[in-house]
Order: sequence, then structure tokens, then C-alpha cells
Amino acid sequence: MEQKKSLLEKYDIPLNHLDFVYVEKCTNAREMEKIVHILRSGEEGYFPDLLRVSEEKLKELKPDSRLFRYEEPIKQSDVLDKKELKPIMDWTNAIKSKDQALNELKKDKLLLDMPSVRKLAKIDLEKSSTEQSKPTKKAQVPAAAQPSKPKEERIKATDYRKWDKYDPDEELLRMDLNEERNKEEEEAKMASQQKPISEDALLDEKKSMYERLQMHLKKLSPLEREQFAEKHRLRGNEFFRAKEYENAIEEYNCAILYDPDNAARSYNNRAVSHMKLNHYIAAISDCEACLQLEPENVKACLRLADANYAQGRRRESYYMYQRVLQLDPENTSAKKSLEKLNSQVGELAPSNATRLMIEELKPDADEKKAKSTSNEKPKIVTKEKPPADSKPSVAKVTPVSKSPEPKEYDLAELVKPNRVVKSKLVTAAEALGNKMQAPKTGLSKQSAPNIQPKPMKDPSPPMLRLPQENLNNSNKLLIQEI
Amino acid sequence: MDKPQLIEHIHEPVNYTVYDTKWLPLSAKFVVLGSKANSHGIMDIYELNEDKVVKIKSVEKKVAFKCGTFGASSLRNRHMAIGDFEGRLQVLDLEQPDLPVYNVKAHNGIINTIDAIGGTQIDCGAPEIVTGSRDGAVKVWDIRQGQAPVVDMSPPPQMGDGINNTGSRRDCWAVAFGNTYNSEERIVAAGYDNGDLKIFDLRSLSVRWEATMKNGICGLEFDRRDIPMNKLAVTTLEGGLLVYDMRTQHPTKGFSYVEERNAGRSVGTNGVISGPKATVWVVRHLPQNRDLFLTGGGTGSIRLWNYEYPDKRVIDDSDGNKIGVGGTMHMVSAATLSTQPVHCFDWHPDKLGLAVCGAFDQNVRVLITTKLNTY
Repeated sequence: MEQKKSLLEKYDIPLNHLDFVYVEKCTNAREMEKIVHILRSGEEGYFPDLLRVSEEKLKELKPDSRLFRYEEPIKQSDVLDKKELKPIMDWTNAIKSKDQALNELKKDKLLLDMPSVRKLAKIDLEKSSTEQSKPTKKAQVPAAAQPSKPKEERIKATDYRKWDKYDPDEELLRMDLNEERNKEEEEAKMASQQKPISEDALLDEKKSMYERLQMHLKKLSPLEREQFAEKHRLRGNEFFRAKEYENAIEEYNCAILYDPDNAARSYNNRAVSHMKLNHYIAAISDCEACLQLEPENVKACLRLADANYAQGRRRESYYMYQRVLQLDPENTSAKKSLEKLNSQVGELAPSNATRLMIEELKPDADEKKAKSTSNEKPKIVTKEKPPADSKPSVAKVTPVSKSPEPKEYDLAELVKPNRVVKSKLVTAAEALGNKMQAPKTGLSKQSAPNIQPKPMKDPSPPMLRLPQENLNNSNKLLIQEI
Repeated sequence: MDKPQLIEHIHEPVNYTVYDTKWLPLSAKFVVLGSKANSHGIMDIYELNEDKVVKIKSVEKKVAFKCGTFGASSLRNRHMAIGDFEGRLQVLDLEQPDLPVYNVKAHNGIINTIDAIGGTQIDCGAPEIVTGSRDGAVKVWDIRQGQAPVVDMSPPPQMGDGINNTGSRRDCWAVAFGNTYNSEERIVAAGYDNGDLKIFDLRSLSVRWEATMKNGICGLEFDRRDIPMNKLAVTTLEGGLLVYDMRTQHPTKGFSYVEERNAGRSVGTNGVISGPKATVWVVRHLPQNRDLFLTGGGTGSIRLWNYEYPDKRVIDDSDGNKIGVGGTMHMVSAATLSTQPVHCFDWHPDKLGLAVCGAFDQNVRVLITTKLNTY
């Protein structure tokens, strides 16, 4: 009978490698795994210290090694603290009332317009399996279907006459062509499976989806709305973790739509997603919405401060950081940022005169108006604002064929001149006019396509518009006040 | 300890073979489906009351129950769709289980597996149920439609009818819905005993893709049913666990995946794998975090995994085609529950970390998993 190999032989590791000095120097994670495995098996004897040292070394080299996977008999719930079990206990009681409420809801039928029943159909397994199968099989099908139809017969080794006629180049070319054709077919098939999605179709779809959602929402009970909202919020978090921020924003939109009264967390999360996409203005409005629902929310304050800073509104940012410290005096992030701001304080726009004008130019006024006109969906309005500094590369410079599109301006830009004003008052004021004009042309082009993608109904487009004359007015205003 | 811990909260012995366990949405109740020794079907409803469970209802029927789901029922009615050993699909109102809401002889053989969708999602297509059976057929049902399936994916008749001449016929062990992100798109994934994996596209009514695993497929689940398909977890006999990245389909290579070979085996206390290869019976993604999922293995162990996405999920290959990149899987935690396979598992849809599972040792367990929110 063949003797079983010891692990040492199996792994081909010399015995003298099982040694403190060698283990210390070893840099090969794979070998280290083998050494740990041998030591653990106990085949070479029991060396607890060496094992410990090698395990530490392995942890250093390869922290996620399979050898660190442990499985233990399941623990009973008595290992948990009362404190940890309590949420579950409380939950079992809390969920009962919801359960009860649902049972009562059962009586009133929900009249959602359900999608219609699918037409009866059959997917033929046999056909598709020959059609779909491996590329090797596929290669034969088109070959047979070739127009020239040369019956691919094997040329006998002795049949010299045929070999004379055989042109390897031609054959190679034919093979290449076949390959090409296969690829094209596959691609065509994929294309047919993946619906051709044009931007417009997508927009329409989204728009109608939100409209339908609104309709459904009215029929749902608060309990159901809360459930759905929570589900969308969690889904948004998942997308966020996977760094798919656009999708995350979509999910948060839904969550907010479903349950606007308890949407503080969704607003907050949407704000972060916007921050990640560098949409600071949207982030700011989301933070503000969150703070309206939960004025004490430290995270939202901090985020608002960050967003304001990123947007160049240092003064607002400064006040917000102070507010954060008011709520949470230990907040290190706020402290640091405040220090940073303090060091830049020379750059901060000075006092009240200019400050007033900022108010005048700020979108807030418009926003408030918009809000008052469409109370039921304030966040929709705030969403309409163009992402502040979307890079030109992102914004497609599609020829703006829909010319009557409301032009939008980066309102934040208007703040900047105030800083300039501070140093050289008069010249700057004059320069202002030019400055305002300069970015405008570029900006309007960029932002015009940006406004379109908002699927929701725009309750008051003129509110958001800052038409040219308006801008000019404000310029005059600026100069007057100075 | 900062990693999640799997803990047994309640242990409830029963006197029948458990086949499926499911939480009733938005409640502390769960349903246990099984088969008594006299092969009668049994459905027990339990309610979790702080630290004990109370049986609140028990229903017995003539045919043993195999699998059930709440996926196609709305929050208001919470009807359960159940497949049984004789191929009958019934939808029961748990308040009045004697009179099924819908009842159809769906298959010629046992319904091995069931999945459903469209109940709670608004505006994401019709509520539908898909069943997979020993007769090799996969059928999609809409309970508003009489007695015929809305989509039928049966093998051709020359392969036998499920009772006679079934030699060449496959046995469908696992089905799953996915990709239902609007009212048109919908995908059914089906896994067969010979390791075939077929992805059916219900919109274009075609086979979107197929692949063959080394072993029979026991469990399938999309990480989410109602988003554009993202990941598909597949478990097989002999311990295979594969996670496909479903975002990108390469024209010839299909979907990319990451594989774990010994996911069903016991790891042993010192991390050295020993013992036979064991089936991975079931895979279930956490409803609150799609990148965490749990597998139940043939040695009575459960393992919690974490999937990490690669830096770039899509790359261009040499031909300029897009090809997906598989991520990595890390085992987060593992525990042995039983000496028998853990073959059914259900996370609570509303409470993070709460789960119920059944094993072939005639026990039902309520589990708590701690610190899941840290992921």
C-alpha cells in the first residue's frame, strides 16, 4: 500500500523552513500559507510559538488568506447582551401594530391599474439551444449557408491534384471572414436584445413613470408609503456604496416622492450623492431641505458647510461650520475646516454692503417663490437647478435646437464678483459687467442641456429663469449700492 | 469582535421534514412548509414573540409542500404561492387556507422551486410566479390568467413528458426572477441538474444566454430582482459558489464571474478544509445590502459572504468589445448549525439581521446576525 505523503512532502518544503528565522524573513505569502498549514496539522509536531509567529507573519503578508476562516458551532442568543437583544424584542412588538394595520387595509381593495397579463408565449428550448450554443457549433452554421457553398470535404493526403489547387491564403481569408461574420451576428443579436435606448425615450419614460407614481401614491396608505420609501432609500444606499451615484439619486428621488414627511435621511443621502458628482448647488438645497425637517441634524449641517465651501460661498460655509460646532462641539472635521477658513479669512468678502447684494442675487428668493407656488413638491423645484460646475466635457454640446429653452445661469458665479469688488471698488464694478458677459455665453450652452434631463413636471419654469435683463438689472444694482 | 456574528435566537423542533421557511412581509410571523411522515403537506405559521415563537396556525393538506413565496402578493393581501410534490401550484390566503385563491396543475412532477415578483413593486410589470419542476419545464404564471402559463419554457416533447421516457429530460432545480426595473424587462434564470444555467428574456421571449457549470445547480438568486440586473449568485453540488457580474455581456464570452470552490464544506475549526465536498443548497442576499449574502451548506453550516466590486467593472478586450470584470468574495463569518444540510433560509425583509432557516434535522431556527450595518 502506498504510504500517504506528509504535508511537508506534498508541499515540497524543506524541514529547516519551519524555523523562526526563516519565517521572519519569508515574503512569499503562498509559502507562508503552506507553512502555517503544516504547523497546524501537527504532523511535524506541536510548536505553539512558531505557529503563532507564522500566523502573524501570514496575516501581514496576506490578511484575507483562507486559513484565517474560522467556523464555529453557532452560539445561542444568551451570548448577546440584553442591550443587543432589546431592539429585536422591541421590534417584535412594534411590528405587530403594523401587521394589524395591514390586515385592516386588506378590506379596502387597492385599485391600482395593474399591468395587463402577458400574451401567452413559449420559449422553445431546443431551437434556441442550437442557435445559441458555443461558438464552435456556430461556426458550422454560417459556413454551410455561404453563397459559394463549397462542400467542405477533407482533402486526402494523397490527392495531390487537389492540393495543388488549394490556396492557403484564400482559406485563411475565408476563416477570417467567417469569424468576422460570427462576431457581427453575435453583436447584432446582443443589440436586438438590448433595447436601443435614446435619451429622449429614456426621458419620456422617466417622466411618465414619475407621473404614474404620483397617481399611485394618492391611493396608498401612509404605512405602505413609508415602507416603499424605506425600500428605495436602502436601494439608494446600495447604489451609493457601489459608487453609482446617478442611480442612487434616482432611488432617493423615489424615496422622497413616496414619503416627503420623513425624507430627512433621503435628502441627506441625496446631498452626499450630489456632492460626489460635484453638483454642489443641488447638494446645498438638499441639505437645506433636510435641515428643514430635522434642524438639529449635524451631518446635514456639516455637509451643507462643505458644499457651500466647495461652491465658493465661504461666508455661508463659515457660519455653517460654527453651527456644527454649536451642535457638536467635538466635531473634528468642522474644527479643521474652520481653521482652514480662518487662515483664508483675508480672502473672505468683507462686510455688509456686499453681503446684502449677495442676498439679492441668490437663487433663494426665486426658490422661495417657486416653493410657494408649488407647495406639494418643493424638492422638485430645487432639483431643477443646473449642476453648478459640471465640466464642459460632461455636458454634451448638442446644438440647442429647442431654442425657447429657458436659459439658466450659474448663480454661484454671481457671488464671485463680490470678492473682487472688495479690493478695487470702482474698476471692479466696471469690470463686473464684462465678467458677467464673458462666462454667460459659455455657460448657457452648457447648462441648457443640463436642465432638460429633469423628468419631473416643471411647475414654474419662468421662476427659475434668470433672463438677461434681470441680470443686467442686478448689475446696475450692484454698482449703485457700491 | 467587530465582524458580524451569526447567533441562534430560537430553536423550534418540528415533527415533519421542513422544505421551506418564509417570513410573512411586515410582520413577526413566518411560515414553515413541509412534509409529514405520511407525505401529507403541512403549513405552520409561527409568530415571534420577544424570545419565543408561538404557533398560531397549522394547515394540513393531502400533498406535501415543497416551496413557497410571497413575492407576487401585495402588502395588503400577502397571499402565499406554494408548489407541491405533485406539481400543483396554489395561491393561499393565509387567513382562509382551505380555499385557494388560485389553483392549477402546473407540472407533471414535483415543483422543486418557485420565485415570484411584482407584488410590492409599483409600476414594474405584472405580478408573476415562476416554477421549476422535475419534468424539466420552467413556467411563468399570472394568477389573473386562467389555467395556462403565460410563458412556457418546456423541453421538447421527444424528451419525454416528465413521467414516461424521461431519460434525456433535465430536472429544473432552481429558478429566479431578475432585471425587472420597468414594466417590460424581465428575466428568468433557471438552473438544471446537469449544471445548465439558462437566462430567459421574457421581453424578447428568447434565451438570452446559457452556460454550463461543472455540477448541478441547486440555488440561484439575483442580488436584486427589481433593478437592472447586477449580480447573479449560483450555487452547485460539490460546493461551487459563483457570482456572475450581470451588467456586461460579452458577445462570445458572456458574463464574467468569480468562483469559490469549497463553499459548502466545513472549514473546520483550524481553517483546514477537511471532509467531503458538500453541496451548497441555498444562497440568499441580504434585503438591506445586496453585496452581503449567505449560503447554506450540506454540512449544516452557513456562511456569510461579502462581495467587493473591482475597481473597473467593465473593460475593453482586444477586439474592442466590452467585457465585465468579476469582483472578489470574502467570507465574513461562518457557523455550524446542524449535522444536516441547511437548505432553506430567509432574511426578514424589514428587519436587518433577522432570519429563519430550516434544516433536514427537522428543526426550524430563528437567527440573529449582528453588526451587519457595519458593511
